Amino acid sequence: MIAYKFLRADGTGAFTGFAWPPPDGGPGRWVDAPAADPCRTGIHACRVRDLPYWASRVLYEIELAGDVLEHGTKVVAPRGRLVRRIGAWDDAFRATYTRWCADRAHEIARGSGLERWREVIEPSISEGPALLGFVAARIAEAGAGTEAYYAERARQSAWLAERLELA
Amino acid sequence: MAEHVTCQEVVELVSDYLDQALPAEEASLFEQHVNFCDGCDWYLDQMRSTVATVGRITEADVPPQTRDKLLAAFREWKRP
Repeated sequence: MIAYKFLRADGTGAFTGFAWPPPDGGPGRWVDAPAADPCRTGIHACRVRDLPYWASRVLYEIELAGDVLEHGTKVVAPRGRLVRRIGAWDDAFRATYTRWCADRAHEIARGSGLERWREVIEPSISEGPALLGFVAARIAEAGAGTEAYYAERARQSAWLAERLELA
Repeated sequence: MAEHVTCQEVVELVSDYLDQALPAEEASLFEQHVNFCDGCDWYLDQMRSTVATVGRITEADVPPQTRDKLLAAFREWKRP
């Protein structure tokens, strides 16, 4: 299965600190985990629809092998290797996406009469795309409920998929 | 409401998260929050460092007076 994985700028995992073998003219070395157990052990990655929840510094396409578990906003497998870096996800793109999320947040707040929520948008921009994606979805939720939250998340995924040319 | 974890909940849940004692759903929400919240990311790093440092200390390393103070504090500690 092909999925996606965000890493820190130094190529380590955000929560484990694991240094991923990078692609080098071809896929990186396979990494094996003792098992696939969501949030405990295993190779954790995300589908296109999960990207907004995990947005971070660098993005890779990852090949997962073995029994892949789908769990909430992630997938977990016993084996994986980085296939290629998604070069389009760079600092400029991150800034563009963050700005788009901020603009969406303003638009939703205006349309829902949630003017006070707008105060949190601009000060949050420096913290990046993951926060702004959450802020936009959270404002949508405050205005129109849980479905609006997930609808905004889906809109963010679609925006990313189209511009990053991900399946 | 969609499920979210607040900064206060991150503080309350951090020990269970580091002990891998949180149910997977909660751990996932915890990580989602930490992913976008720099303050909680730093807090989690600090807690990891603290656990790594304190975890190297054995009972014999703790002076008796300090041990007695800690035991007294824990005896009087009540969950809020």
